[in-house]
Amino acid sequence: MNGIQKVDTRALQTNRFSKLLSSIGIYAIAALFIVLGVVLQSMGIINNFLTTQNMMNIVDAVALLGIVAVGMAFITYSGHYADLSAPTTIALTGIVSVELLRFGFIPAIMGAVVVGLIIGIINGIVIGKFKANPIIWTLAMSYVSMGVIRFVWVNKQIYPDVITDDPFPVMLFDNIYRFRFFNAISLPLIIMLVLVVVGQFILKRTAFGAQLKLTGSAKRTAKFSGINVELMIALAFIISAFTTTIAGLAITSLSRVGAYYNGAGYDFRAVTAIVIGGMTLAGGRGSIIGVLGGTLVIGLMNNIMTLLGVGTFSQDIIRGAIFILVVGINAKTLRSMGRDDA
Amino acid sequence: MSSENLGLALKMVGVGKRYPATIAVDNVDFEVYAGEVHALVGENGAGKTTLMKMLAGSFNDYTGAIFINDKMVKLTSPSIAKSYGIGMIYQELSLAQPISIAENLLVGRLPRKGLFIDRDKMVSESKRLLKTVGLDLDPLLPIEDISQHEAQLVEIAKVLGTNPCILVMDEPTSALSQEEVERLFKIIAKLRNRGMAIVYISHHLPEVFKVADRVTVMRDAKKVATRNIGEVTREEIVHMMVGRSIKELFTKEKREVGQPRLEVKGLSRYGFFHDIDLQLHAGEILGICGLSGAGRSELAQVICGIEKADAGTVLLDGEPLDGLPMAKRVLRGLGYLSEDRKREGLALRLAMDDNILSAVIPKLKQGVVYNKRSGKPKAMQLIEELSIYPPDLDRTAGNLSGGNQQKLLLAKWMAINPKVLILDEPSRGVDVGAKMTIHETIERLAHEGNAILIISSDLPELVRLADRVIIMRKGHFTKIMDQSECSEESLLLAANTEVRV
Repeated sequence: MNGIQKVDTRALQTNRFSKLLSSIGIYAIAALFIVLGVVLQSMGIINNFLTTQNMMNIVDAVALLGIVAVGMAFITYSGHYADLSAPTTIALTGIVSVELLRFGFIPAIMGAVVVGLIIGIINGIVIGKFKANPIIWTLAMSYVSMGVIRFVWVNKQIYPDVITDDPFPVMLFDNIYRFRFFNAISLPLIIMLVLVVVGQFILKRTAFGAQLKLTGSAKRTAKFSGINVELMIALAFIISAFTTTIAGLAITSLSRVGAYYNGAGYDFRAVTAIVIGGMTLAGGRGSIIGVLGGTLVIGLMNNIMTLLGVGTFSQDIIRGAIFILVVGINAKTLRSMGRDDA
Repeated sequence: MSSENLGLALKMVGVGKRYPATIAVDNVDFEVYAGEVHALVGENGAGKTTLMKMLAGSFNDYTGAIFINDKMVKLTSPSIAKSYGIGMIYQELSLAQPISIAENLLVGRLPRKGLFIDRDKMVSESKRLLKTVGLDLDPLLPIEDISQHEAQLVEIAKVLGTNPCILVMDEPTSALSQEEVERLFKIIAKLRNRGMAIVYISHHLPEVFKVADRVTVMRDAKKVATRNIGEVTREEIVHMMVGRSIKELFTKEKREVGQPRLEVKGLSRYGFFHDIDLQLHAGEILGICGLSGAGRSELAQVICGIEKADAGTVLLDGEPLDGLPMAKRVLRGLGYLSEDRKREGLALRLAMDDNILSAVIPKLKQGVVYNKRSGKPKAMQLIEELSIYPPDLDRTAGNLSGGNQQKLLLAKWMAINPKVLILDEPSRGVDVGAKMTIHETIERLAHEGNAILIISSDLPELVRLADRVIIMRKGHFTKIMDQSECSEESLLLAANTEVRV
């Protein structure tokens, strides 16, 4: 009908390339970090990289971060960047569960989940329905949660074995983090892997995932296609709050203390894992499998830096720089493809 | 009319621009005199925009030579182009929404008094610029508070403020109603008489004949010809543009008009439209004609459930739709093709199949699984029916040409198996070939028993397609005209008449 048409294929090639890079490439980078660890060890610069204990440390750290990142990825995918209330959600749900341990293990878990979902629902309604800026709002939410913790528990740290004399719920609570199948595979790892599989399925194979993709890619077009975008966005925040709550329970179980500082830093680490895992901040792109890869890279990098003796603050600087680099490259690629929405 | 004695303002000799995979402009000669309106026409992808981008300094790797006022220049950056007096007005507005008209107009050269902005001077200078385009607005209003056509005129004023000697306008009328187009033409005539060289890019041939002195036609990256407007007919230009002649089918076949499919009774959204009654039958194409701001799109958005009605009821095949969200209405076969394809119609970052299937996601559900694959044959079939190029489902929608994007948008709404389709400006800003395909498809849809409501500012489109045309003015239906009464002139007249029937 239109005769010969000339189509600019550059953008397409970049797209395919970046798609490939974002889905597989991140695992190649993870592999490179392992090689780096092995090389550093063989050169005698670091010790104990390739030990069973160290590998288990890496996997456990990746599991905790992964649980947060998988949920938060739904927010990024919906085009709403991140949930900055994740650290205080971890702290609040953790401290609530310890407090409720006096009524038994199940009430403790249920209480934490209810608190987490309330936070998710409030975030979801305010950002989805009332279109608040997600960064500002979740930041505000984190201050509110922190205020609640400080008001109710007055800067106290609470310990499971002090809260209740019954050793059984305390034992169960301790084992959220510590239980290992066959003495090797930890419960958080299993939970994370299940969340990755379920999350990947929801994102890529369900109608909700397809509608979330459209919402994240072009919100107004989604609305004009009959999609309830407010609900989609709210669900993304609720999913994020839910997995963050699970992480909250595991982290509190690990530290054996309910305290306001539990979970600090998980917001930024999760976003970094999501972004280097190929999910762009523009929304509608990437996959949960990629996010898992991103989490793995962050875990390996942290581990190697710690073994090298890099200080906590220096590690923060390096992570921040990597985040800026990835977001920058991302934005540049998108702009060179003629898109200004990066 | 053209004052050749003023001399050549612009001369491009053998210019070319090559992208890695394609040649966008191939050895083109292009000349514009001072005091001339020179139309540049061609189908989408013919190279017009690339040629003008070259002039705007967007490329530093073009070939050939460019002369401005007989001086050879190297236009390798936008600031260099600006310094030679080249002003560009693009289809997409470049105004910053939340800040004032004045600050937009004088961006980068705000008058200063010491450290501070000279507010009085800013206002007076803005008023002067606005007057050149016939606008009488408060320069301190933010852009978001003025209408789209006013914004278009502000954009023109902004460029005029830089005192260009060569002005390029890319589809400046696509957002304007007929009345506003006339006003723009007067402004263009004034600028020409002042000796400005104007390049006018348009798809709309009647406009070209009205406003231009000469016309250059491009096809497939090459120049076909340059002619004086008095020595060429519309048919000849179309022939040069598409490389074949288009038989304009005005012999409309009579369709069977059946049962009412869409009924609207007493529908109101206060402040936008009031007490609207409407009956749309199977097999019927009903047009709605009106100036921008008459409430046409708002009416469509209430009918399809994006916005809520304040009063009245909507029936689809006799069943009330009131209170149903848009998704449920779509499932019942009511589709709305919105006028802004880039922001409301397509997800430009996603692939073609994602776009075509975006309104039928709930339909392709099997249990909890979204079975996209089951929608692909239908998507492919629509791509072939509408001859969307390239026929590649994985292609990103944003990489398609404007005409193909618009066809993709139509395909998206055909995918819902519609009974009633509301089409809001279905062929805005597309090339002749795409427009023909879209029109033929609309007629076929009606022939198959669907009911079609077309909202359009393109009068020939309404004359060609509609069985009846409703005139809408300031939120009311003022007149219904039968096909036999419809002509471009009668519609235009009716749309501008105050009387309420």
